[in-house]
Amino acid sequence: MSDVEFIGTTKVYDDGAVALDALDLTVREGEFLVLLGPSGCGKSTALRLLAGLEDITRGEIRIGGSRVNDLPPGARGLGMVFQSYALYPHMTVRANLAFGLRRGRGDARVDAEEISARVEEAAELLDLHKWLEKKPRELSGGQQQRVAIGRALVRRPKVLLMDEPLSNLDAKLRNRMRFELRRLHEAHGTTTLYVTHDQVEAMTLADRVAILSEGRLQQSSKPLEAYHRPANSFVASFLGTPAMNLIEGAAEGGVFTAGELSFALPEHLAGRDGPGIFGIRPEDVRILDNGDGSGSPGDVPCRVGGVEHLGSDTVYHLEAGGNWIRALRRRTADQAQGTAGGQDREVRVSLAVPAALIFEE
Amino acid sequence: MNGNTHNSTDGGQGSATLAERWYVPVEIRALRVWLPFAALVNLLILAGEALRGNGAEQLGVLGAIVLLLILRASLPDGRQRWRRYAGQGLAAAILVLGLLSLLRRDATFYDLWATSWLFAPSALALYWMSAGLSGSWCAGAQDAGAAELGLARNRTLAPRFEAFALHTFLIHAVALVVAPVIWIVDVSISPGNILGGAIFDAFTLEHFRAVLGGEAFWLWTRNSLVVALGTTLVGLLLAIPAGYAFSRYQFAGRKGAMFVFMLIQMFPGIIILVPYFMVMKTLGLLNTSLGLIVAYSVTALPLCVWMLKGFFDAVPRALEEAALLDGCNRVEVFFFVVLPLSLPAVAITALFSFLTAWNEFLLALVFNTSNDAYTLPVGLASMIPATGQLWGDFAAASIVVSIPVVILFVLFQQSLIQGMSSGAVKG
Repeated sequence: MSDVEFIGTTKVYDDGAVALDALDLTVREGEFLVLLGPSGCGKSTALRLLAGLEDITRGEIRIGGSRVNDLPPGARGLGMVFQSYALYPHMTVRANLAFGLRRGRGDARVDAEEISARVEEAAELLDLHKWLEKKPRELSGGQQQRVAIGRALVRRPKVLLMDEPLSNLDAKLRNRMRFELRRLHEAHGTTTLYVTHDQVEAMTLADRVAILSEGRLQQSSKPLEAYHRPANSFVASFLGTPAMNLIEGAAEGGVFTAGELSFALPEHLAGRDGPGIFGIRPEDVRILDNGDGSGSPGDVPCRVGGVEHLGSDTVYHLEAGGNWIRALRRRTADQAQGTAGGQDREVRVSLAVPAALIFEE
Repeated sequence: MNGNTHNSTDGGQGSATLAERWYVPVEIRALRVWLPFAALVNLLILAGEALRGNGAEQLGVLGAIVLLLILRASLPDGRQRWRRYAGQGLAAAILVLGLLSLLRRDATFYDLWATSWLFAPSALALYWMSAGLSGSWCAGAQDAGAAELGLARNRTLAPRFEAFALHTFLIHAVALVVAPVIWIVDVSISPGNILGGAIFDAFTLEHFRAVLGGEAFWLWTRNSLVVALGTTLVGLLLAIPAGYAFSRYQFAGRKGAMFVFMLIQMFPGIIILVPYFMVMKTLGLLNTSLGLIVAYSVTALPLCVWMLKGFFDAVPRALEEAALLDGCNRVEVFFFVVLPLSLPAVAITALFSFLTAWNEFLLALVFNTSNDAYTLPVGLASMIPATGQLWGDFAAASIVVSIPVVILFVLFQQSLIQGMSSGAVKG
């Protein structure tokens, strides 16, 4: 049982700033949970509270059912990979890996043979054999990253913590390490808490993603569920590139009105009434071939305000009654999505699609 | 524009090309900087002469300085021919004044050096304005082709001119630093106790023999070593934890304490000399090494704490956090991670403490009344009584005393260079 439970965990700094506000979250044994959010949302604070690097103001944290609030960091059975790697610069890679094992006292004592066996094992796993006798500064960023992961894993932690571990790598290496991290998790199955602001990392790595904003948990669910069924407009706008279209207005009698813009709601939303935010992903916006006037009442006439060619995709910025709508079209000819043509053309789009959502706030 | 009567190669009739407008020979450019500098040096030399009471004999130099400045102001501009003639005349006049100045001097090394500051600039100016490419430029005989060639020549020559000027400056700086050392070495190996005289004209080890053979010197050395090593040890034991606490912990009075540490540094030691003496007398620590160790540790502490705090600040916190997660407690974090990374800083601090104690004179003189308790600086001073100064012995002892300091610097240089913390944290 290595569940991690945050129970009303709150962190208030000395200056009164609330970094984390009553977080309730459970990370199940063997799960890869990603804490996702913009900078300052409290995701790193949550990790540091769990690691014991900062004191919990209110609430508690349990690991494997027992309260760890007052345990020193080293006694919590955690391994942590830091954003800066934080390798000990005066020690060789081997010494870096063995350092934590040597500190073991009492029950956690590890004898010398076991230490060298475990270091070998970690070196094997992360392909570090060539670097064992080098100092960290002689290694490239990617190699240092591996050592950092190795150092966290040799202690056989109950929970592995990672604080933006990939953010110091270049884009290419980041993609490779992301893949390796996932592979490593599948091989080991260590419960993992991973902090990032990068939604691509969150989407690809996570079994479950917990999205935070301003110290509060917004949603915790499977990545795709968070993408398709965001709990609120923050999650909706935070996940996805280009971001979801959010139109503030009011629904009444199956019609959504926002300023001069007015259109029929799709069937599943027809029953909604009152003010709300209409949300639709750019890829769900259907561009109807052209303004031949034969559209259904749900169609919205638009003017093409700008076109961005991204290679695989094309993003159209459409202006409709004072609102801007982003529409994304794959390069593969998907006729159902239609094409908007060039700048300043008049087109019609359909927003009444099954994937459309309305948020209360 | 400038009424250029020569044919420009690119046919720019009547108007100067870009090259022509920009081109000034590197020699003239150099003179623009060097002449005021030469004037300044001559002024300093003149001031020196005046202080030694020879000012009146060298009044001609004052005239030469004025002429140097006039020459700087009227350097040729490549167009007006009269500037060239005026410049040549001024340079010749300075040359003559330099000659007159030399006639009034002895022909010692110093006198030759002093007058060279008149000869060299004037001779160079005269030559450069008269001959070669710069000479013809000064005469206004240039066209666009010559200007372009000249610019190319400037590019290759300018760095050499700069190097020459820089080396002249550096050689003087080195001479200034090395001269006292050479002098004291000369005194130490010259027979007798003469301060002046020719350099390295005789050789004897009698002074070294006298110093190293005497019992007093070894006694003083022992005292100095005990005091200096003790100060280093006590200073480090206090400064390391203090610096770490100031660097990593927030506590009441932290800022105030840091400021007070800084404040203490601002008072000259002599202000607290009398109270210090009373304290030491009350504690019965006069004429003991312990008294000096306490006094020096306290004196050196503020600076050591500040230096160490600065280095501890540079050790990334993430390293300490990693060590905490690896199972260290606070003390282990410090000894396994922070201290090894700060060893260069500790070395510098140790060196500083050691040198403070090794070289200190005032407190050692006041606290120690007994010859047996003297440290080396006080002992050395005692070799120069009012009568019969033993300059030779004194010089020899000075050199012997300096050797440990030199050795320490050479040793610690290595650890200064080791940038151990580099590569600790990426980005």
